[in-house]
Amino acid sequence: MAKVAYYPGCALKERSSHLDRSARDATVKLGFELDELDTWTCCGAVPPVSKERIMNLIAPSRILKNVRDSGSDVLITICDFCYNTLKRTNYSIRTDEIIRKRINTFLADDTPEREYLEKDNSQWVDYKGEVKVIHLMEYLRDELGYKQITENLKRSLKGLKLAPYYGCVMLRPQNEIQLDDPENPSIIEDFISALDAQPVKYPYRTECCGSYLSISSPDASTRLCYRILNSAINKGADAIVVSCPLCFYNLDSRQKAIAEAYQDFKPIPIFYFTQLLSVALGVEYGRQGFEKHYVDVTPILDKIGTSSGKGDEE
Amino acid sequence: MSENMGLAPPRNPPIKLTRKKVRAGFKKRVIELSGQPVDACYQCGNCSSGCPLAQEMSILPNRIIRLVQLGQKDDIIHNDTIWICASCFQCTVRCPKGIDIQAVMDTLRQIALEEGVDHFGPDQIDPEHAAEVPQPGLVGVYRKLST
Repeated sequence: MAKVAYYPGCALKERSSHLDRSARDATVKLGFELDELDTWTCCGAVPPVSKERIMNLIAPSRILKNVRDSGSDVLITICDFCYNTLKRTNYSIRTDEIIRKRINTFLADDTPEREYLEKDNSQWVDYKGEVKVIHLMEYLRDELGYKQITENLKRSLKGLKLAPYYGCVMLRPQNEIQLDDPENPSIIEDFISALDAQPVKYPYRTECCGSYLSISSPDASTRLCYRILNSAINKGADAIVVSCPLCFYNLDSRQKAIAEAYQDFKPIPIFYFTQLLSVALGVEYGRQGFEKHYVDVTPILDKIGTSSGKGDEE
Repeated sequence: MSENMGLAPPRNPPIKLTRKKVRAGFKKRVIELSGQPVDACYQCGNCSSGCPLAQEMSILPNRIIRLVQLGQKDDIIHNDTIWICASCFQCTVRCPKGIDIQAVMDTLRQIALEEGVDHFGPDQIDPEHAAEVPQPGLVGVYRKLST
């Protein structure tokens, strides 16, 4: 089975482990394996606040350099924060000569100090941004092809109205990310169509959910999430599809606070795109970590028929 | 949230511009750190109208840029606006003059942090909340909002 280098990031190892597991299950069904890096550290979650703080680029640069040294030229991430940070760091290294020099000078000096790394006596080669950082969804769209998914469907999601939620860092800043149109994206819509479900278009799909403000100004995040969720509900969505652990947390767990603040609000289940993918590919429900969701997902699962007649494989 | 949603009131008393303050080097520092041509801003207001958090801010993003042009450092770094920005890049994507406004906001935070204005510390977080938020949120909030 083909293997692709994979950087899970911290959230997927613990608090969003269901995103990690469903992604691994789904990709195996699609014929390739997410090959986790041997050694990796936190990527820093957000790019530094200014170009002066070059130290904040060291951790993601080291990860990328290790990927190149291990012989891969593609790195898959799923968490939108890791994707944004690694991709933007790579962009800086590729385009800014001064940043590239400073980072490499530091990395060359720092590598021998890392005890968990094997001693490496090979000649130092500057990291110039050779690795291509891609999102799992991007890999499915461009490398594998959504058609491949449609051909392998084991359960039918027909009739489900799913609202894609992009959030901010998956698409923007567009000159560095270049995943899709920042104002009118379609990558998740096409993914939903590939699952044979019906994508719902609604105006707030690229609006921010509050991101880390959920911690520093929770009320502001509650208002933002209410606007997003309500917009999707008004357009007839049964559930929302996300890819980012923080979007998931904000949109899912925050529904408790939203229900307290807005009387008219009705809860709506949130899914990671990988969960729906692996469900549609025939992985059993018990492996999806649905117990970690705040909003009950069973009404949606009940709608997912065994209409294709194939049901559980495992 | 201000009572007049989405509309920050005119400043009262009005800003007093002095040559000394305008030329004190604040604007130059912002340009240097962010790499953004803040002088290109012609106040179209696209950033503020697209900002999902504009309603929570007491100075709208376009006015922040104007204050930077005028070197009004104290007005900016002692205001809640720069800490409310969630770095969602909506303004950056929509700016017709190509200013990365989010980078300017980040730079203003860094300047505020350098001046010792810490917005959010580990003691301000609810431990129950901290136990369940995904890690990128925790790492992000401290890297953006505290030294």
